[in-house]
Amino acid sequence: MRTELDEARQIDRYLFQQLNQDDTREFEARLLLNETLAAKVDAQRTAHRLIRLYARTQERNRLQEIYRNLLTEKNFADQLKNIFA
Amino acid sequence: MTTQKEAAIIPLYRESFPDFARMVRSMGGTLEQAKDSFHDALLIYLEKEKAGNLHLHSSPKAYLLGTAKICWLHTRDNGSIQPLAHEFEAADPEAPTPETSDTEERERSLLESLQRSGKKCLELLKAFYYDHCSMQDIASKFGFKGRRSATVQKYKCLEKVREEIKKTQIYAH
Repeated sequence: MRTELDEARQIDRYLFQQLNQDDTREFEARLLLNETLAAKVDAQRTAHRLIRLYARTQERNRLQEIYRNLLTEKNFADQLKNIFA
Repeated sequence: MTTQKEAAIIPLYRESFPDFARMVRSMGGTLEQAKDSFHDALLIYLEKEKAGNLHLHSSPKAYLLGTAKICWLHTRDNGSIQPLAHEFEAADPEAPTPETSDTEERERSLLESLQRSGKKCLELLKAFYYDHCSMQDIASKFGFKGRRSATVQKYKCLEKVREEIKKTQIYAH
């Protein structure tokens, strides 16, 4: 388990460009020689994107909820009504 | 995970949005368009704040209005181009946005499937990757014994998502 955890952490660091130049070069050399590792990196990159998509959808819903709540405040709603009158 | 900083977004919203809406109105935009661009700007603001990359040289309101204006102008001038995507690419070049609507569609479909089969895992991964919570905070939030258990669980969740991705061959694009 330790090895897998370390590998996943290293892939994260590679994808977030947190490895130094030497480690990046060494990691990219391993990617060329190791298809299994390359597949894991591709999958992890997509995983990052999916997590961001999931999180942003939640955040947008939360902002929409804040907007709806603010519209129940008379002063806020009146200002917008006057602007777009 | 709602933090005190995030709760502060409500007064910032209340104070800033009417000014931005007035600006959009003066440039011929609608209330809906103003709201969408404002939400894009708020997302950028919140993401930078969570990542510790929010370096304000003016007030939060001024920063937000400036960002929202850029978002609005991009949307108005480029139609489907999403300024938020560009913003994130700049911060995270190794995670490009999907190149085609086909890929985007498949990713959305995969995400829906993951939400049905393992919402807790997605929440855990969101806490780590998006909210930038420490493993200790994640352990407390999700009821793990400690940071070691949380780290192992995070790995298992990541592995589960990676396996689902490989199954759909989505990573090949």
